[in-house]
Amino acid sequence: MNSEPTRTVFVVDDDQAMRSSLKWLIESIGMQVKTYGSADEFLNSYFPGRAGCLLLDVRMPGMSGLELQAHLARDDSRLPIIIITGHGDVSMAVKAMKSGAVDFIEKPFHDEDLLTSIRNALEFDEKQRVLQSQRAEIALRLATLTPREHEVMDMVTDGRANKEIATVLGVSAKTVEAHRARVMDKMRARSLAQLVRMVLVAGGNLQSP
Amino acid sequence: MLFHAEPGPASLTDTNVTVNSTPAKHVFYRFFRRVPMPVISILVGLAVGLAVWGVLDRIQGQAIKKIADKELQTQLDRQARESLIRFDQYLKNYVTTVRLLANHRSLAEYLEPRFWLPQKAPKPIVYRESPPSWLNDFIKRNALSVHSHILLVDTRGHIREVYQSGNMELPQALNQGVGEKLMDAGKVRTVVTRLDGWPYLLVSDVAEDMDGYRMGNLVMVVPINDTFLAASQRGLSSVHAAVALVDVDEQQILASIDPELLSPGTRLSEWRDLYLITTRPLPEYGGTDWNLLFATFIPHHSVKKMSSRVRNFERQQRVRAAFAYILVFTLVIYLVSARLNKVLKRMVGFSRRALGIEHPGFKRGANQLVLLDEWSQHFAQLVLKAREEMSRKHAIEMRASEALKAAIMEASLDSIVTLNRKGEIIDLNPTAERTLALTRDQAIGGSFSKLFLAADGRRHFLGLLKDSRRARREGRISQARGQLTARRADGSEFPVELSIVPIQLNDRSFYTIYMHDITNRKEAEQEIKSLARFAGESPNPILRVNPSGLVVYANTAGAPLLAAWGTQEGDLLPAEQTEEVGKALEGEHSIERETTIGNQIYSLLFTPIRELGYVNIYGRDITAVRHAEQEARRHQADLVHVCRLSTMGEVATGMAHELNQPLAAIVNFANGCSRRLQSNLGQRQALVDAMGQIATQAQRAGEIIRRLRALVGKQPPIRSEVDLNHLVREVHSFVEFDAGKMDCTIELDLEPGGISVDVDLVQIEQVLLNLVRNALDALQEVPPTARHLVVRTRSVGDAAEVVVQDSGPGIEPERMQSLFEPFFTTKVSGMGMGLPISQTILQDHGGSIRAESVPHGGAVFLIRLPVAPTVQPSLAAVG
Repeated sequence: MNSEPTRTVFVVDDDQAMRSSLKWLIESIGMQVKTYGSADEFLNSYFPGRAGCLLLDVRMPGMSGLELQAHLARDDSRLPIIIITGHGDVSMAVKAMKSGAVDFIEKPFHDEDLLTSIRNALEFDEKQRVLQSQRAEIALRLATLTPREHEVMDMVTDGRANKEIATVLGVSAKTVEAHRARVMDKMRARSLAQLVRMVLVAGGNLQSP
Repeated sequence: MLFHAEPGPASLTDTNVTVNSTPAKHVFYRFFRRVPMPVISILVGLAVGLAVWGVLDRIQGQAIKKIADKELQTQLDRQARESLIRFDQYLKNYVTTVRLLANHRSLAEYLEPRFWLPQKAPKPIVYRESPPSWLNDFIKRNALSVHSHILLVDTRGHIREVYQSGNMELPQALNQGVGEKLMDAGKVRTVVTRLDGWPYLLVSDVAEDMDGYRMGNLVMVVPINDTFLAASQRGLSSVHAAVALVDVDEQQILASIDPELLSPGTRLSEWRDLYLITTRPLPEYGGTDWNLLFATFIPHHSVKKMSSRVRNFERQQRVRAAFAYILVFTLVIYLVSARLNKVLKRMVGFSRRALGIEHPGFKRGANQLVLLDEWSQHFAQLVLKAREEMSRKHAIEMRASEALKAAIMEASLDSIVTLNRKGEIIDLNPTAERTLALTRDQAIGGSFSKLFLAADGRRHFLGLLKDSRRARREGRISQARGQLTARRADGSEFPVELSIVPIQLNDRSFYTIYMHDITNRKEAEQEIKSLARFAGESPNPILRVNPSGLVVYANTAGAPLLAAWGTQEGDLLPAEQTEEVGKALEGEHSIERETTIGNQIYSLLFTPIRELGYVNIYGRDITAVRHAEQEARRHQADLVHVCRLSTMGEVATGMAHELNQPLAAIVNFANGCSRRLQSNLGQRQALVDAMGQIATQAQRAGEIIRRLRALVGKQPPIRSEVDLNHLVREVHSFVEFDAGKMDCTIELDLEPGGISVDVDLVQIEQVLLNLVRNALDALQEVPPTARHLVVRTRSVGDAAEVVVQDSGPGIEPERMQSLFEPFFTTKVSGMGMGLPISQTILQDHGGSIRAESVPHGGAVFLIRLPVAPTVQPSLAAVG
């Protein structure tokens, strides 16, 4: 929880009373809150990679909540979004969820519901961040491999035996052995299982290592 | 006489008959009519003369031509014969000359010492300049005027000596010697032959010496050429008649009298155009083997001259004949016409005196024949016409009286029947046939009373007959009248009125019966009686009132009305109604009034009957109608309310959303406070501020709820004077939140100082709300930046205007038509009742609504309402 202070709950709502009351409530559990009167205002101050979550009113003049969500998705932002809807805006909420919002809550809401939802979102954000950094590191290691080593690695992780790989590539088993050792070394994999997991993470097929 | 008398009338009749048929003949006739008889006689004489001339020209001309031709031929023949004879004579001269020369002593002397050795072709001795000694002197003078040669030939035919007179050389053909034919020892030989292509005359005789020894022959060679021919035809001009020698085989001229006119070598046919050619064979000359013709050429012009001379003579003769004819005919016809003229004058004089007929066209100097003819025709026509006129006049009179009688009979609407003394029908008119349903044939001869009267009326009828007779006898108006029941042939009966007139004619009595069918009259009487009951039977009250308000008549249904007014038939109406009666009589049209009596509502129609000085009052119970109207109005109000509820539901949803905002804020603030207080964290001032926020938000919620109530609260439809701007502002507050969420601002452009209207404010608000909501719905379809909505109020004259203009997609032209039709909607959730109800509401208020689609997109709705008339002063009073 040491990273908690760096996390921020961004609140975007066109209603001034709503903004200040949310800030008042969320700050009561010691989280940092930043409020914005419109989607544009938020986009002007936001930069991707900031930790935290976004609390978004779905109906707003100017850019609506859904539009902001689409905008962030285009910018490849992974900021988790919680949608706040008025009564009867369920269809909009469903649309938001389909577009990747982590949760939605209906006004008026219980404070505990909101706060739980915020905590979940922040946790999700944390996980995403870790996975992201792992991916980046594995990608760096993969970049050091020669094409032949990459080939050998793909076959190894496919579960093929050294001899089989040698036959396919038309080299001796000994050469395959050497490539394999270099791959393990460069990827800093202590076991075959670890190598396989790394490949999966890098391919985005696994949520967490 | 007979000759010219005949064509006159014949031609006249002819022209008379066809005078109108063709214009040409008409013109001719008119001309003929004008010309006096003497002129005609001259004309006829001329015509006959010309005819004679023409006919004689044909006959005589031909005959004379024939004679002339014959004569000509004879003359030509003679001339040809003569020239041939002359030619022959001329030849004979030569023969004589040759004989003389051959037997002359000088020749014999000359030959005495000579001896011609026989040799093949001895060179002849030729004398040119002077004649040899063996020729006699006279030759030099006469015989040898032409270019001829005289030869001495030995017995073998060889030429020994030649005398050439003139320049011409001896023909080449003779160089070889003279032919055998000429060498006859016995006698003189004459030969016409061709030498070197030209005709020559050769004459030969035996030449002997003094001892009578035959030395040979003396031959004279003469060319037959122009000179020869001219000499032969001495004394005859070649212009009148030329002669020529012609080769039969080749038809060629060998020699002519004048080579310049008829050049030798040309063909005979070439000259036929210019000359009349007569050919004759030459007489036989000894030894001639050549076929020759002697041709005489006479120029055509000289022939023509001769024939024209003959024709001229003949023409002169003819002119004389024609003149003689003209003279005779003219004279004869003139005499006849003079005679006719006299006759005509005498006849005209007679007709004028006897019949008073003046010949219309008779004038001096006109054609007497034609006039006579015309006059006689005219005369006959006048006599005929006079006769026809008389008979026609008589016939017309007869027919007129007949037609008059028949017309009276036929046109009469009454049945007219004539009876004889016995009461039998002898005549009846068509009306009678129709009325009694009996044909004429069936009726004639029958007894009138038996056929046409009902049994009970017969006695009465006989009585009437008797009455009429008596009336006549007594000199009174001779007719009897009575009503009876008549019977048709089919047995049906009908009432009639009878009038009987007796007629006395030649000691015979007749009756004329006029019978009038009075069925219609009876029916009309009944009709009038039944019509009079109309008013009485009417279920609606009907009254008749005189100007002073006295009820003259009231039907049964009018009784309750009279009772309610406290009056009755024969009494006066209340003052109020009497006043209306007065007004109705003054005005031109009926007046309609409504009155309530008890639970009943009556409509009273005051109809003036000015000519009678009455007013009819037609009452009508309209209670049910009024109730139905009220019901309809209530239904409409209900419908408006339903629509309002529907709109309200939608508006209220928006408001509920709005309400969520302060409520959620309050909850958040409250929870935030309690968490801080629990964890003992919050600053005191911050908590106080949060509490203040809670209070503010609660007030905000309260405000929203107040608006909601204003919207929902149902008020009865009551008209009141309100400011239109106020209504617009209130409607604006209903939708402000929704519009804000759509990022759309509503611009209010309101008439400064307000516009007072007398309206049901709930209904007008409803209309405005409809329009604004429609506009907002339309704006959903355009991007937020393009969303613009203006609500404008204006006072234009005595009308208040509200314009709702949006920047949406506008209204498609094909939808404009059905915009105000019920259940027409473009929305998924709409009822399609908004605009129709708005229209109904506005019509109720005496206003209107109209839609437009502005060119650059967007729709405009324009509402007009009458400005409240009394508002201005009342506002001023308030202000």
